Amino acid sequence: MKRLLRLPSLLRLTLVFLIALVFQNCSEQKIKETTDETLNITEYLRTNSDYSMFLEILDITNYAAFMNTYGTYTIFIPTNDAVQAYLNDVGATSLSQVPITDLQNIAKLHILDQKVNTTSFTDGKIATPSLYGQYLVTGASNKNGVSSTTVNKDASIVASNIELGNGVVHVIDKVLRVADKTLAQTIEADPKLSLFTEVLKETGWYDKLNQPLTDITDIDSYLTVLAQTNEVFQEAGYTTLDQLKNRYSHLNNPLDLKDSLNLFVSYRILPRLQYLADIAITPSLVTKAPLEVISTKLSKDTILLNEDIFNGVLEKGVAIDRSVSDVTASNGVLHYIKGNVAIKKRIPAPVYFEFTDIAEFRRLTAFWKKPAATLQTLFVGDAGIDVTWDAKAGDGAAWIGYRKDADGTSILNGVGNCWGADAIDINRFRDANAQNIRFKTPVIIKGRYKIWISYRQKGTKLGNVKVFFNGIEMPRQINLHEGGNTDTANTPETVLESQGYKRYASPWSNRVNCRLVGVVDVPTTGRHTLTLQSQGSFSDGAWFDMAEFRPVEMDQLWPKFAAGKSTLVQKP
Amino acid sequence: MQTKIRTILAIFIIFVSASSCDSYLDLRPQDGIIREEFWKTKEDIQAAVIGIYSSMLNSPPGVNDFPLSQYLFMYGELRGDMIAPGGNVTEDQRDIMNSNIIASNELTDWSIFYRTINYCNTVIDLAPAVREKDPTLTQTQLNHFLSEALAIRAYLYFTLARTFRDVPLKLDATLSDADNFQLPTNTQSEVFAQVIKDLELAEQYGVEDYGNNPSNRGRITTYAINAMQADVYLWVEDYEKAVVAADKVIASPRFSLIQASSNWFNTVYAQGNSTESIFEFQFTPSNLNSFYSIFYLRPQFLGGVEVLEDVFGIDLENANNRDVRGERASLVPGTAQIYKYVGLNFNDLKEVQSSDTHWFVYRFADVLLMKAEALTELNRGAEAIEIIEEIRLKRNALEVTSQEPGSENKIEIINYLLEERAREFAYEGKRWFDLLRNAKRNNYERLDILLSAGIVGALPEQQQSVLAKLRDPNSHYLPINTNELFANKALVQNPFYK
Repeated sequence: MKRLLRLPSLLRLTLVFLIALVFQNCSEQKIKETTDETLNITEYLRTNSDYSMFLEILDITNYAAFMNTYGTYTIFIPTNDAVQAYLNDVGATSLSQVPITDLQNIAKLHILDQKVNTTSFTDGKIATPSLYGQYLVTGASNKNGVSSTTVNKDASIVASNIELGNGVVHVIDKVLRVADKTLAQTIEADPKLSLFTEVLKETGWYDKLNQPLTDITDIDSYLTVLAQTNEVFQEAGYTTLDQLKNRYSHLNNPLDLKDSLNLFVSYRILPRLQYLADIAITPSLVTKAPLEVISTKLSKDTILLNEDIFNGVLEKGVAIDRSVSDVTASNGVLHYIKGNVAIKKRIPAPVYFEFTDIAEFRRLTAFWKKPAATLQTLFVGDAGIDVTWDAKAGDGAAWIGYRKDADGTSILNGVGNCWGADAIDINRFRDANAQNIRFKTPVIIKGRYKIWISYRQKGTKLGNVKVFFNGIEMPRQINLHEGGNTDTANTPETVLESQGYKRYASPWSNRVNCRLVGVVDVPTTGRHTLTLQSQGSFSDGAWFDMAEFRPVEMDQLWPKFAAGKSTLVQKP
Repeated sequence: MQTKIRTILAIFIIFVSASSCDSYLDLRPQDGIIREEFWKTKEDIQAAVIGIYSSMLNSPPGVNDFPLSQYLFMYGELRGDMIAPGGNVTEDQRDIMNSNIIASNELTDWSIFYRTINYCNTVIDLAPAVREKDPTLTQTQLNHFLSEALAIRAYLYFTLARTFRDVPLKLDATLSDADNFQLPTNTQSEVFAQVIKDLELAEQYGVEDYGNNPSNRGRITTYAINAMQADVYLWVEDYEKAVVAADKVIASPRFSLIQASSNWFNTVYAQGNSTESIFEFQFTPSNLNSFYSIFYLRPQFLGGVEVLEDVFGIDLENANNRDVRGERASLVPGTAQIYKYVGLNFNDLKEVQSSDTHWFVYRFADVLLMKAEALTELNRGAEAIEIIEEIRLKRNALEVTSQEPGSENKIEIINYLLEERAREFAYEGKRWFDLLRNAKRNNYERLDILLSAGIVGALPEQQQSVLAKLRDPNSHYLPINTNELFANKALVQNPFYK
């Protein structure tokens, strides 16, 4: 100590300073390293004891870690009461007693791999399937004066649109259950459908409706059944199977697909999964009866089937019973109709097919037909429902795009201001990039049609395009450099028409053009393939608006299409 | 020597402390005026009251919510059945049109309402003290100013309660950051009761005549207060009082209906302040409205495609025979553009730099039809029908839209009245409130009115959900904005928006 005190004052001072430093600077400085403190889904569940049982399901099935990773998920979280009710229902006392595969299926049914807010819920299925594969059905219901949004009909949403780091959460008051009955079983289970069940069995359709799906995510492999109750049969004068057989079975063999009783049934079975919300916006439904379609019409809030004006006479339609329809089965959906529908003989009707009206674009719910969409690109890997093309998967330049402008903008401006104010944009339409763009058309009734293709003209970098219908080349090619005719010499449109041109949009401009590519015989009523093939090495985007299939005997010029809007312009 | 230095030092310190402090410690703003220096003369009160009106025309600089008139338009029309989205509609606007509403919708921001309410509260709180400082301010003058502030506050609360149902009532001025901002909601009936109380006081204090026409139509007069009273009494289902209030306006020679003619539109709308007008927001060429942009340049809203035919009717035999309120008064045929706020006359639009069409809060026809509604509910249907027919005659309403309701049949008269109101007040921010008021009467006896309007706005694939939602009365009111709930923990969200 003495030695220490003997040190020169400067050194002593330094020593004191150093000691002070050692004692003071130990505390660590806290630097905030995160910019966002929003929790991810699993973290959110852990902090919220109300959902501990669903968290337990995620833990048991090992999905908990996965739900905490980066992504854009939608998850429906049942409250603890809901999970408890589920346990009581299956007769278990704890989650560990439930078979793990059941829990896995249930967990997967509650998760979608896209963010879906309640504002985009419809009266039908959510556009994205659950991870389990089955689609969830949304809607709203009013119980004791209180309305809430529902999922799969009976689960009500109690808290919605909770934004988390990797998705959005909706809290529900019932566990969603996997539909385990097939359509056939569902129909058989309803005593009111006993006669319908008998007919199904007699015609062999029962077994077809009883087959489980092979690929649960493929929307095309599902079936939709329009069933009619005994009461409806009775009103039409049928109470027994024999009466039906006497009336319809003209070949006396109901198992024969050509037998009218068989057609009677197959006319009530529609391919694809179609909830009422889908039916409400589909003008005609393909049926399993070959070449036959059912037309639909939305009148106020009633969906009417086969209500058409035919030769100037209004044919009364048959309504769908909304209150009981939309029954989900494992392989499809069941609806109830309020009357007996019969197969209609149909004459060809025009089909106006917007190239943008395809499932790939429709499912971009945030953009499709929304004014601020600008350009949305679609790569070949994401296509394959209504459009596909030849390209190397993963090629960043091989896209087609959805272009949308504000409704009502002039046809002179932008890209999309043709019909519907949107257009399809094929980027670098050429071999080895994007070639042979194949569209599935809407349903075309069999008959003879002229095909008109409309596009937006561009002066350079493009060239000729060949059109194929069902693989058959059309006689005339389209030249994308060629603009519309706007001469002031009053050339009648009929003269243009005879040369294969017309002014399809109104108001008209030379920025767009419409070309007759040929006449086709459409062999069957249904969806067909229209292919566009580039004849050059296009180095810029090619913009197409629509394809018209007009029956040959119809007026080819009118109605026209309102530019920048989705309406038709009738002949003045 | 020592003393000399100390003396110099002392003098220096005294000098510094005595002279220098004053200017750099002064915290008064250099570009404004503070409360202690304001509120001294009656001119100050006048300036503050005119400021309230100004705040209803356009937002102050640096605030970027919509002008009040645009909110009034959107709250009154978007959920109604006469409007369609234009090309520049926003997602949030479209969601409200489709009855697809969530609490984060930016249109549920009520800042502009509470901002203006605070201006009113400031006048009500601070103006009375001026009388001690300014001897030239008489009690009558002071009362006139208070009447204006009270009536405007009442109207804003009335609109909030019709739109959001339960809203916080803040009746004193917010003067410092130390005020309590954690205010709970008051129920709709509490708000209506306060509105009635304020309007009664305002009427007592009110001005009948300002001495010039623009002030009589652009500032609160006793007649404007009576019109508001008639409206509120209809909402609280006190029909006797509604008739009394309406009759006070009707008795005045200042108001009359103008016969339909080629310059009817120009007189009533493009110029404004006509004999039909009771209270209008006075936009001027130097203080333009925002409607030119949202209805014409970048249209956010269009009229419904069916409106011209279904609401106003078309005379198929004589194209020149039209309801003066329909074609090129409310909207333009074909394009469905909303014309009321952008048109100059039948043929021409206003120019962008002269787009000063007023916002019409109350017109004489409104008072007449409100009286008719009250009369119907008082079982005096024949008198109500008489009023409707008088208006139809003046407006050259078409034969196709005429109905013959039985004078005992309330349902038929109300339906007729609602259709007439749709024609008379198309796009004046009244439609949804008219539907709601009539639907909710007698414990939602006429819910069907809202359901059939709901179908019009709904997307086909969401129709059923919309109908189910509308069966819940809570869904008829907008949610409290999410940001508001974060800031004010005392608020309770409408249970529908869970």
